[in-house]
Amino acid sequence: MGERMSGGGDRGRRRAHPGASVSGSHGAGDDTAVEELLAAALRTGTTADADEGERRAVAAFLAARDSGAHHARTRRRDDWRPRGQRHASRSLKATLSVLVASLTLGGVAVAAIGSAGSSTDARDDTGRQRQSASASQKPEAAPSVTPSPSASSSTDRDRPVNAQDTEAHCRAYQQVKGRGKALDATAWERLVTAAGGEENVTAFCAAQTASASASPSSGTPSSGSGQDKGDKAGEDSGNGSGQQKPEAEKTPEAEKTPEAKGKNQ
Amino acid sequence: MGQGGEPRRAHAYDGELGAAVARAQDGDEAAFAVAYRIVQPGLLGYLRGIVGDDAEDVASDAWLEIARDLGRFKGDGAGFRGWTATIARHRALDHLRRLRVRPRSAALEQDVLDLPGAYSTHDQALETLSTERAMELVRGLPRDQAEAVLLRVVVGLDGPAAARVLGKRPGAVRTAAHRGLKRLARQLGVEGVTDDGRRTLGDSK
Repeated sequence: MGERMSGGGDRGRRRAHPGASVSGSHGAGDDTAVEELLAAALRTGTTADADEGERRAVAAFLAARDSGAHHARTRRRDDWRPRGQRHASRSLKATLSVLVASLTLGGVAVAAIGSAGSSTDARDDTGRQRQSASASQKPEAAPSVTPSPSASSSTDRDRPVNAQDTEAHCRAYQQVKGRGKALDATAWERLVTAAGGEENVTAFCAAQTASASASPSSGTPSSGSGQDKGDKAGEDSGNGSGQQKPEAEKTPEAEKTPEAKGKNQ
Repeated sequence: MGQGGEPRRAHAYDGELGAAVARAQDGDEAAFAVAYRIVQPGLLGYLRGIVGDDAEDVASDAWLEIARDLGRFKGDGAGFRGWTATIARHRALDHLRRLRVRPRSAALEQDVLDLPGAYSTHDQALETLSTERAMELVRGLPRDQAEAVLLRVVVGLDGPAAARVLGKRPGAVRTAAHRGLKRLARQLGVEGVTDDGRRTLGDSK
């Protein structure tokens, strides 16, 4: 009995399965059949006043055309071009905006380098020169601003960086003092702050110069790194001097000449 | 496979439609009339599935907007179908909100479900299926299935375009269309083999 029941169940299942699989394949095909059926039935369902609808639509079209409404901007939901084209135009826009942004930021960065490190002046035509001048500032400024015989170029490099900076700033300060804008630069602000006021700068500089020339030996242990720095900076200034020279010749001003000399050395 | 069949028919006009739309955008009103004649039947069929007898009025509203915004549109013939269907759908949903129509009655659905069996083969069904009957069947489907079926079958959109009109993922729309078509096929008696199988299984028990 149990066998019969199970046998009957098997038979039923066996018969059901082919039916199911056939209906499955038919079902997929019937999607198309039903679509045909529906399309034929539903798409033909136009009514008597179809002409009336067309007339009104065309009238609206003419009104919009004559009022200039057709020049309206395309919104995102109006753009039904194939996906690739939409993406292409969007990615072109994105690329352009990234390019503009990077140029802007790059310009700001370059300008910041120039204003932070400049030891020369604030004139407009020195933008290019500043890039190299800021990198090579220390070695090039030192030989020209220390005319004392004790300060040879080799001992200058061995000096502590701070003293050299301050000394260079002091020397340049004396040259450009009273010329206006130059004193607005960040370097001058630092110098004035360090001296404790603009009127104290001269005294401060005198003290700095004295102490710097009195202790050249204190920097000797760090000569290795100092040498590296100097060499590297020297290369940079070598690159920069090519750009700079013609300008220096055209405008032989007081604050530029020492620097040109320093580079030629 | 079924997906390829229907859009292909609609695509037969898409070249012509795209050209007409381009000329209409340049200001040619005769070309706009051509585009209207190509698009309107499908649009009207789709709207009948959503708003029933108000479809003509809603389509008229939709065409006013289409005529006004035609300059904004960018795309080819197939794209124009999708764009116009989106506008028509928004107008239809506005219309339903205005009317505050209650959900379609279950009674209609039940009537529809009771009717199949009259057609033993789909050839016979093909001969006898009227517009009214077909629309009844489609409106008996859940809304998402009905819209998916209509956009595909009547408007002639492909899967991604239908999904964009409905604001859903293509997979969800494809599934809805498939389920809707399956159900319609069952109601039309196209799937006779399955019924036989079930009956046999029932008899054997």
